[in-house]
Amino acid sequence: MTERLRLINAVIKYGDVKAVDDVSLTVRDGEFVFITGANGSGKSTLTRGIAGLLPLSSGTITRTERLGYVPQVEEADRNFPASVWEIVITGTQGRGGLFYSMGSRRRALQAMDELGIRDLAKRGINSLSGGQLRRVLLARALCGEPELLLLDEPCAGLDAESHALLFSVLRKNVASGCAVIMVTHDASDLEGIHADRVITLSHGRIVNDE
Amino acid sequence: MMSELLEILTYPFVYRALIAGALISVCASVLGVILVLKHYSLIGHGLSEVGFASLSIASALGLPVMLVSAPAVIIASFVIMFVSQRFRAAGDIAIAIASSAALALGVLVSSLTGQVSAVSNYLFGSVLALSDGDMILAVMLSLIVMGVFIVFYNRLFLLAYNEDYARSLGINTTLYQFVISALTALVVVMGMRITGTLLISGIIILPAVTARRLASGFRSLVVMSGIVSLVSFVLGLAVSFMINIPAGAGVILANTVILILVRVIF
Ligand SMILES: Nc1ncnc2c1ncn2[C@@H]1O[C@H](COP(=O)(O)OP(=O)(O)OP(=O)(O)O)[C@@H](O)[C@H]1O
Ligand SMILES: [Mg+2]
Repeated sequence: MTERLRLINAVIKYGDVKAVDDVSLTVRDGEFVFITGANGSGKSTLTRGIAGLLPLSSGTITRTERLGYVPQVEEADRNFPASVWEIVITGTQGRGGLFYSMGSRRRALQAMDELGIRDLAKRGINSLSGGQLRRVLLARALCGEPELLLLDEPCAGLDAESHALLFSVLRKNVASGCAVIMVTHDASDLEGIHADRVITLSHGRIVNDE
Repeated sequence: MMSELLEILTYPFVYRALIAGALISVCASVLGVILVLKHYSLIGHGLSEVGFASLSIASALGLPVMLVSAPAVIIASFVIMFVSQRFRAAGDIAIAIASSAALALGVLVSSLTGQVSAVSNYLFGSVLALSDGDMILAVMLSLIVMGVFIVFYNRLFLLAYNEDYARSLGINTTLYQFVISALTALVVVMGMRITGTLLISGIIILPAVTARRLASGFRSLVVMSGIVSLVSFVLGLAVSFMINIPAGAGVILANTVILILVRVIF
């Protein structure tokens, strides 16, 4: 089995406050990991650290370059004048090229089909509903053929149908060797898919991992 | 009327103004989309003041304006970008301080050396007084700006959209911020001849703001901004020619009228 992520004694601070405190975590290909915990327990901070958006104050991280990251939606994303297509295809970036290849375009279209947002392609993202925008961000994460998917509360605001769709897409990716780390509050998410592990955070520390 | 217009077009100074002005207007407005979205709008204004100071000094020393202004404005753009990155909130204040200090310096130098009339060309623009050399320089610089913009288009889009996300894709956001600064500096240096230093930030910002009402995607926004700017430039130039006012004022007024019309209609 290939390791997709290895965190050793990771600490992430905001000023003097440790939002992630001494977290060690290894995730391998084909693994499905849930992260839960109370509001403010450090889940988003941990995922942002894994995504490389926040520096570790101490500890080490090694992970695959091929990352698909879906943040908790930020307002900044909503008001930007861009079409759905323009946002989705950015998921294929990060491979160095300045222009999108035919292959990238094909994968972006495929991801949009999978998530049922192809007909939204030309719409401005500022005209989407919350759930539609979340699907856009998911399609974006998927079209880069990620080896590690990092999802921060992807189910918030999804209707039952989208919820089922999300899990079937995730199952397919896991089956083909992608590792998934999903942050969720919702116990019912845990029923949508067989989780290999459920990790519980409290005050930035892992208090349970099973 | 029509034949008169066509005759006007045969004057070399008119077509030089049209070619150089159109290219620079398009460059400024396309770049303006990113500057407006990233709330860097003030940078164009700050740089134009630095441009003014540098050309007062250049004409006081009898040096070619481009040779002094281009490097000065580019360096200033890097400094402003650096300061606004380091001290986020202080960025605007830094620009305000730098620009008023530069303006004061420019006024000081030009009044001490009695170069006021030469300098006033640059304050208000003198697009109808371009030489062939000026025009060729403008064409070359415009091609550079557009070329860089097209080559890095996807990266610049990501930078404008969300810096955090761009970084998570492994994109060197600092590098592209400096690319934007350098392009802005070039546009300001070129624009000093068209609208003058006082009005250059107008042709950077106005078309992008107008176009936001007309486009839902980013690419359509960039294209619309360019079109709005081009139309405004041609209209503004024609009007200023007919009623004999400085071209820069005509162009900015045309931009403003179109902005208001678009806001009212859409
Ligand atoms: N930018 C920030 N600056 C300072 N403190 C922050 C920042 N972002 C988060 N925090 C603090 O860090 C802690 C962890 O926040 P985090 O967003 O990781 O929690 P979370 O588990 O994702 O919560 P939620 O379930 O509400 O999404 C909280 O105490 C929060 O107040
Ligand atoms: Mg969170």
